[in-house]
Amino acid sequence: MTPVRKVIRVAAAPLFLVLAVVGQLVVINRAPLPGGGAPDLVLLVVTALAVTSGPMAGTLAGFAGGLALDIAPPGGHLAGEYALIFCLVGYACGRIMTAVEETTGERPAATALTVMAVGAAVGEAGKAALGRMVSDPSVTGQAIRHVLPGAVVYDVLLCAFVLWLVSAAVRRPAPERAPRPEFAQAYGVAAAFRLASAGAAPRLRLAGSTPPPVRPPARAEPKLRLSGVRSPALSRTHAASSLAQPALPGGRAVKLNFAGSGRGNPLDGASALPPGRSPGRGWLRAQPPRPAAATAPRRTSPPKGWLRADRLMAASAPPRTSPGKGWLRPARTASAASSWRPKSPSRGWLRPARPAPAPRRASPRRGWLRPARPPKGNWYTRGPSGRWLRRGRRPWRSPRLLLSQLVGGRR
Amino acid sequence: MRDARRTRPILIILLLVAVALITLDFRDGGSSPAHTLGADVFGPVERVAGDVASPFIGFFHAVGSNDSAEIAALQRQNDQLRAELAQSQVSKADEAQLGKLLRLSGKDGYRVVTASVIAAGGDYADTVTINAGTRDGIAPNETVLNGDGLVGTVTAATATTATVQLATDAAATVGVRTADTGQIGALTGTGQTMAGSDDLQLRLFSSTAVLRPGEELVTFGSVGGRPYVPGVPVGQVLTVTSQPGSLTQTALVKPFADFTGLGVVGVVISR
Repeated sequence: MTPVRKVIRVAAAPLFLVLAVVGQLVVINRAPLPGGGAPDLVLLVVTALAVTSGPMAGTLAGFAGGLALDIAPPGGHLAGEYALIFCLVGYACGRIMTAVEETTGERPAATALTVMAVGAAVGEAGKAALGRMVSDPSVTGQAIRHVLPGAVVYDVLLCAFVLWLVSAAVRRPAPERAPRPEFAQAYGVAAAFRLASAGAAPRLRLAGSTPPPVRPPARAEPKLRLSGVRSPALSRTHAASSLAQPALPGGRAVKLNFAGSGRGNPLDGASALPPGRSPGRGWLRAQPPRPAAATAPRRTSPPKGWLRADRLMAASAPPRTSPGKGWLRPARTASAASSWRPKSPSRGWLRPARPAPAPRRASPRRGWLRPARPPKGNWYTRGPSGRWLRRGRRPWRSPRLLLSQLVGGRR
Repeated sequence: MRDARRTRPILIILLLVAVALITLDFRDGGSSPAHTLGADVFGPVERVAGDVASPFIGFFHAVGSNDSAEIAALQRQNDQLRAELAQSQVSKADEAQLGKLLRLSGKDGYRVVTASVIAAGGDYADTVTINAGTRDGIAPNETVLNGDGLVGTVTAATATTATVQLATDAAATVGVRTADTGQIGALTGTGQTMAGSDDLQLRLFSSTAVLRPGEELVTFGSVGGRPYVPGVPVGQVLTVTSQPGSLTQTALVKPFADFTGLGVVGVVISR
């Protein structure tokens, strides 16, 4: 915000109030308007300030403007009458607008206009009612019937114009906006890194940059390979199969550990081997995809059967659930890829892509009269304007929430 | 909501202050020091603004009135520049009002300070501000009149401005007598000047007096000429209503002065 803009924002409210008071007394009250009443510029400015700047500004502007209208020369009513009414109206308008924004996350112009119009009408009625209460001889029932409808109609007609003027002057930056990315070019840099790494690290992005939309990983079919195929691409498998039979002292051959491969393998069930025969090398076999939550290899003991390593082997090498190297194994499945969890480099420069957590709102402190209940079940979505909006977990309760916020100081 | 929570104590304090102000003003009868302060602060501002705005207001009145002569004059001068036209209209109207006022005051032998209206009260108030004050010799409770007749009385005066309570204000009561028969009565406003209907309500004191529509009323006069000097024309009886159960006759009076289009007024200075 430029300094000029800041000065305009600070000086706008008093300037508008003074202009409204003088214009009301000098021009509006003297102009021969048809239809009984006359608009109240000060009331309109007060409600517009309340709607655009909140209850505090509305209260102060209402008191100041009302008092000025009370004590400025032609007067005609007791000092403090309009200050009382405008103060209340300004507070109520600001409060309602804040509550609407808290509940729905938006402050649409239509709502602002409605709140303003209702506030102006209530203010006009309040002026008449307070005049009756202090037994002002001018405020008779007949006079009210004659003046009030015209005044309210004029106020409602002028609402949009005054709101436009005031909001143009005191417009503030949108509240509770998501923090700006620290690097404007973060997207480009991250894309370059992604290209350069070519899949070595899944998705990298700069810390502090907003994440790109997370795409659901494509589901891949497990690929099966034959172990006997000699090809450069499978050289690892071939080498592993040649190393798979270490010799033990004593000349015995170590039995291979196929434990775990017999369970959950549909190929085993379909092979229809006679019991007691081992599936030889070169059989097709697959492993069920790893469960997503499995982070450590299962260390369950192999089922009792004839294929198991002896104690020595079990002591020297940890039991493995997967078949040894060189056997057919499925390529890394999609579920395994999606269950990949980052190590969470807390303040690294590069960090794996992960949906950034929604900005936490400041926890509500104690209410004015009663303790605040902790908010639960809120989630955040991005509005069309790029602002983070708080949505209740139960959206159908929002009217009730709005009411409770208006009536009691729960938040 | 944090803003709302911080606001509530301030709101309560301000409401208490407002109630205290109302109470003080109610005790003083609407003339507490707050009004003096406000007049000192806003008086000069209103003077300047009123001087700036009065041509436009005069133009509005010239256009808005149904006076065929004025409309004809406007049409006759329509060839000239529009701004010049409006300005000359206002000047002419002011000059005519001033001339009538001087004739009236000269006839009755009053010393009159002229002033023009610069601001008006709100919807329910029949008060105006004029751009002359104690510096010009104006003091509270002095009669304000127009080229046409009685306007009101001064209720408060600062150095440069004065507040006038119009005769149409619901709180104003003027003692009047009929010009022909000399029957006396009290005239009160109905408080609807700005609403367009500025009729006054007359209640005669004598139960045997007979009122006829068309009779003219002049002020009866107060002790020392305050707040009303005697002999100022007020208005004409419009309709006579005799309510059952009422001892005296009441009537609606059409005032001579046009309260919605007040421009130049004169304040009768007590000698």
